[in-house]
Amino acid sequence: MLNVGVIIKLEPDFSEGNVSYNSDGTLNRAETKNILGPHSAIACNAAFYCKVKYEARISIGTMGPPIAESALKQAQVLTDAEELNLYSDRLFAGADTLATAEVLKNGIGKMFGENKIDIVFSGHRASDGETGQTGPQTAWKLGYTFLGNVIGFDIDLGRNVVIAKRLISLQGMDIIIEEIESSLPVFITIDPSYRSIFNTVSQRLAANKFRKEGTKRSEEYRQFLRVFDSKKLDLDPKRVGLPGSPTIVYRVEKIPRAKTNRKTEVIDPSNPNTLSPLIAKIIQIVRGE
Amino acid sequence: MSKSTNQESISNHKIEKYRHLYVIIEHFEGQVIPVSLEMLGEARRLMDEFNSKYNSTEKVVAVVLGNNVRKLCDDLVTYGADSVIYADHEELKYPRNDIDTKVIVQIANDAKIMKIISPEYENTFVKPRYMFFAADNIGRHLSSTVLAELDSGLASDINKLVISDLDIRHEHKTKGQSIRYEKILEMYRPDFSGFLWTTILCLDNKNPEILREYHPQGCSIIPGAFRPIEKDNLRKGTIVEYSPNIDQELKIKILNRKVIKRTIDYETCKIVVSFGRGIKDNPEQNIKLIEEFAHLLGAEIGITLPLSKKPYQVSQNLDSKYMIADRVIGTSGSKITPTLYVAVGLSGAVQHVAGMKESEMVISINTDENSPIIDESDIFIKGRMEEVVPILIEQIKKQMSSISVRSS
Repeated sequence: MLNVGVIIKLEPDFSEGNVSYNSDGTLNRAETKNILGPHSAIACNAAFYCKVKYEARISIGTMGPPIAESALKQAQVLTDAEELNLYSDRLFAGADTLATAEVLKNGIGKMFGENKIDIVFSGHRASDGETGQTGPQTAWKLGYTFLGNVIGFDIDLGRNVVIAKRLISLQGMDIIIEEIESSLPVFITIDPSYRSIFNTVSQRLAANKFRKEGTKRSEEYRQFLRVFDSKKLDLDPKRVGLPGSPTIVYRVEKIPRAKTNRKTEVIDPSNPNTLSPLIAKIIQIVRGE
Repeated sequence: MSKSTNQESISNHKIEKYRHLYVIIEHFEGQVIPVSLEMLGEARRLMDEFNSKYNSTEKVVAVVLGNNVRKLCDDLVTYGADSVIYADHEELKYPRNDIDTKVIVQIANDAKIMKIISPEYENTFVKPRYMFFAADNIGRHLSSTVLAELDSGLASDINKLVISDLDIRHEHKTKGQSIRYEKILEMYRPDFSGFLWTTILCLDNKNPEILREYHPQGCSIIPGAFRPIEKDNLRKGTIVEYSPNIDQELKIKILNRKVIKRTIDYETCKIVVSFGRGIKDNPEQNIKLIEEFAHLLGAEIGITLPLSKKPYQVSQNLDSKYMIADRVIGTSGSKITPTLYVAVGLSGAVQHVAGMKESEMVISINTDENSPIIDESDIFIKGRMEEVVPILIEQIKKQMSSISVRSS
């Protein structure tokens, strides 16, 4: 039996109509709704692929306040997860990535009654924090092999290995697609371009069945939910939250406007006289003159 | 001993265990990736100032992993490194997180190298003081795992750095007392909106209840954020070969590696048309309109960072073609210098402006004259993009055909 874990995050919803910005361009957190982050959703899709193709069991985990339950519920719809885990404790508040990884490491260790998890998926990066550090740091603390930027994968259950494709894009260089093999367990962060594809009829039927089941389970998601505090996770309070964070946020300020040397001409587009020289200039540039 | 060093040793009894700034170099097909030289440039500026301020001789140390990489090392010296530590091994030919992490940690913990690169600190060196990585597909993960193993702090996506002495009063770090921290790296990170700057510090816990030292102070640096220093072929540096310990079984095997030409190439583009949240009233139609406009100009299309978060429902085709990270112009995407930049319905967040401000000519189309983009525009066309872009398309077509009629 393949055991799959997914680490997810509740994030501000950046979609139009739900996101709210302050007049200075910064995010209005109070007015913006929270949802399962889009990268977390992609990680869920990768786990669901394992369920359909390899009959995997899925356990979802998230660190956050009690409202993060809603992200677990949304993740259950996508994955038909057997288990939902909320790692929640006031002591965890204010954690940086290293202190978050400490909690997630122990949380993953408790999935499925401490049965070893074969693959952990997480998103590429969160839409709000955007560090992309938590996944690899959790992997390292767990002692799992870390595979980043994965755009596709399959598992060879007989050999206990994963064969993955990953995408590496470096500044000013061509793109590399690498096919790699690694023995399980692995920790995979899924690239945003990942799509799960079900090739056969039986896979598509299974996918439909699990989707229905997932929606049904999520209606009573609390039955599947377990809540862990620092004690239940056997965590040292000195290694989590603010006390366990090497870094602090020292200052938050508005980025000053850059100095500029341009003289701006404001044009009214309804006046053809002002537009005409501009059009001529654009055409000149287009023709390389 | 000079007077000020003497004073330093009297006022500061503790022996400093953390020295130097290590820069982790990335390369590809025998070429150093630009961000690596940019990091060296910023490291050079910071450490020159550091050494004169603190009267010390701490180094910029470049670290290179790979196969046949000795030839890269001299260049790193000419771009600002005092020392280059390189590990040359078949197994290091391509980046792999597991083995690279282990080798970098070995190098960071190796005090014996000090005998060659800075004998004055040989007996006291424990770990690097600062560490820089690139905030890209390789460095982002590598920085995370290296700092996890070294059990220290890391800030990501940095575009400004300052070293200073700070009086810190923090509930946990100092137990509410005001304590002076010396030689602290202030790491500035633009947030996702591009309007806020967060300064992150990596600080030792001086609170006796949770006493712990956090070094190196690590960060990943946004490609394009800093400038390399001018190449100086006369610069001297020490180059040290490091023999890594690679006896453990390697978990990741590379089966196959394909290089694909980049499909979006802003470097060779004369004209770039970018759009932002101003498309919101009818995203599908407006993107198509911009497509038509860009096509007419022979322009490449760019977007702002918020658009890469897919805030709008548009057809799959437009979504996968345009709402992608590869098209972001700005500090978290591409930095470009076209002859003409057309900014359609975008406000001009600082992090976006940083990516386009070197454009030769800038035309912006926006309803709001208070948008910061106006400062970066030669021409500001006031109006809704839905109205302005069709007028431009029509006028350009008209003038183009009349010119070609005249010339024929």
